[in-house]
Amino acid sequence: MDHIPSEQFVTALAGGTAAAAPAVELRGVAVRYRLPSQPVHSFKEYIIRRLKGQIRYQDLWALQDITLSIQPGEFLGIIGRNGAGKSTLLKVIARVLRPTRGRVIVRGRLAPLLELGAGFHMDLTGRENVFLNGTLLGYRRDEIAARFDAIVDFAELWEFIDMPVRAYSFGMLMRLAFSVATAFRPDILLVDEVLAVGDVQFRKKCMQRMGAFHASGTTIILVSHHMDLVRQFCERVVWIDHGRIRMVGEPDTVIRAYTHYVMGHERRS
Amino acid sequence: MVQTLNTVVYDSARRPHPFLEEWIELVRYRDLVVQWANRSIKIRYKRSILGVLWTLLEPLIIMAILTVVFSYAFRVAIQNYPIYVLTGLLMWDFFVRATTTMVKEMIASENLAHRIYVPISAFAVANVFAYAFNWLIALVPLMGIALVTGHPMHLPIITLPVTMGLVMMFALGVGLIVSTISVFFHDFSLMYDVLLRAWLYLTPIIYPIDIVPEHLRFLLWINPMTHYVRLLHDAVYFGRYSPLHVWALCGMISGLALLIGWWWFTRTRDAFAYRC
Repeated sequence: MDHIPSEQFVTALAGGTAAAAPAVELRGVAVRYRLPSQPVHSFKEYIIRRLKGQIRYQDLWALQDITLSIQPGEFLGIIGRNGAGKSTLLKVIARVLRPTRGRVIVRGRLAPLLELGAGFHMDLTGRENVFLNGTLLGYRRDEIAARFDAIVDFAELWEFIDMPVRAYSFGMLMRLAFSVATAFRPDILLVDEVLAVGDVQFRKKCMQRMGAFHASGTTIILVSHHMDLVRQFCERVVWIDHGRIRMVGEPDTVIRAYTHYVMGHERRS
Repeated sequence: MVQTLNTVVYDSARRPHPFLEEWIELVRYRDLVVQWANRSIKIRYKRSILGVLWTLLEPLIIMAILTVVFSYAFRVAIQNYPIYVLTGLLMWDFFVRATTTMVKEMIASENLAHRIYVPISAFAVANVFAYAFNWLIALVPLMGIALVTGHPMHLPIITLPVTMGLVMMFALGVGLIVSTISVFFHDFSLMYDVLLRAWLYLTPIIYPIDIVPEHLRFLLWINPMTHYVRLLHDAVYFGRYSPLHVWALCGMISGLALLIGWWWFTRTRDAFAYRC
C-alpha cells in the first residue's frame, strides 16, 4: 500500500483541499539604493570622476530581511511610519523594483491601486483615457472594450464620457480612474493610501468594491495610516519599521504596539 | 471560496534574460504601444489646427529657403532641387524628432514606471511609430510638389515603405542608446543635439554627393544616413532601384543599431526604478 503523506490524509479526512501555495511570497528580500556621496549630474563630470576613481557610494537599505507569506484570499494590512519602507515593499511586490537580495514570488494576476489615472491626458476624452489607462495597466484592448460599458456604469459618467477629461471635476476623474483600475477582478490587489483622496461617497464605493473582490477570493494588501480602516478590514497586520518587519500578527495587537511606539517617540522628541 | 492558484506569474529569481524579457513584455503590451502612439498623435492634432499643419509646414519652409539659396548653385547636378532636398529632409526630420523626443518620453514615463510595472520600451516604440505617421502624412505635400514641378514618379517608389521601415529601426536603436544615457545624465541629450547638427552636414541631403571631392567622400560613406538617403533619392528622385548591396548594407546597419540599442536599454532598464 502506498504511503499517504499525513498532511494530505488529514485534510482529505476534513473534506478540504490540499493547502494552496501563498499568493505572494517574499524570502529574505532586501532593497538597496546606491547613492553617490556627491551627486553627479553631468556626463562629463561622471567620466572624469570615474577615471579618477573618485566616485564613492553610500548604501541606503530601504528594505532588509523581509520574509513574508501572504495566503490567497487574505486581507493584509501594512502599517509603519513614513519612510519605513511600506511603499518600497509594495513596489517590490508589484514588480516595479527588483529586489537587491532575496526572492519575490507572485502567484496570480496582480492589480496595483497605487496611482489612479496613470497616463490620463487632459485633452483626450474619457473614452480615450479609459483605453489608454487600461492598456497601461496591462489589459488588452479587446478586454477593455468588452468591459467598457460596465466601467462607465460604475463611474456614472455616461453623459460626459466623450468629452475631454479637462472638463471633468476631480471627483469624476477619480471615479473613472478607479473604475478602470478595478474593472477586472484581480487575484491580488495592492492598495496604497489612494483612498485618501476623494469624497465620502467615493471612498464608500471603493471599500464596497474591495469588499466584493475579497468575498470572491482576491488577496488584498493594504497600506494605510488609517488604523480604524486597518482594524476593520484586515485579518493580519505587518508593521514595517526602518525597512524591517517589526511585528506581524493580529490587527489589534500590532496596532496597539505601533501606536504605543509612535506616541512614545513623540513624547521623547 | 479560496482559490488554489499555483501558477507563478512572477518570480524574481527566475526571470528570463532582460534582453528577452523586455521583448516578451513588449509583445504582451502591444496594445499599449498602439494606444500610446495614438495618444501622441491625437495630442498634436487636438492642441490646435496649426499644430498639424506646422509639422508639415516646417520642412516645406526649410525646403523653400534652401531652394532659393542653393538650387542655382547645384543646378548642374540636380534638376529638381525642391524634390531632392525635401525627400531627404523628411527623413532627417523624422530621425531628429524620433530620437530627441524619446528622451523626454522616457523621463516622463519614469513617473509611471516608479509606481506600476510597465515595459518602458513600449513608449520608445510608440514614439517612433507616432513620428513615422507624421512622415507618412508629409509625403502628401511631397507628391503635391512633384505634381506641380512636373516631376515624374516611377515604380521604384514602392520601395519607400521598406526604406522607411529601415530608418525607423535605426532611429529606435539610436534613440534607445541616447535616451538610456540621457535618463541618468541630462546633459548627454544636449551633446546629442550638437552631434545631430554636425550629422546633417555630413549627409548629402542639402547638397548632391557629386560636389564633394573624391578624397573626402569616405566621410560620407561611413555615415549610415548617407546610405539611407541614397535609397530614398533613388526611389523618389531618380526613379530607379538601388543596387542590392546598398539594401543589404542598410539592412545590416538597421539590424545592428536595433540590437545594440535594445541590448543597452534592457541591461540598464532595472536601474531606472532605482533612480530617486
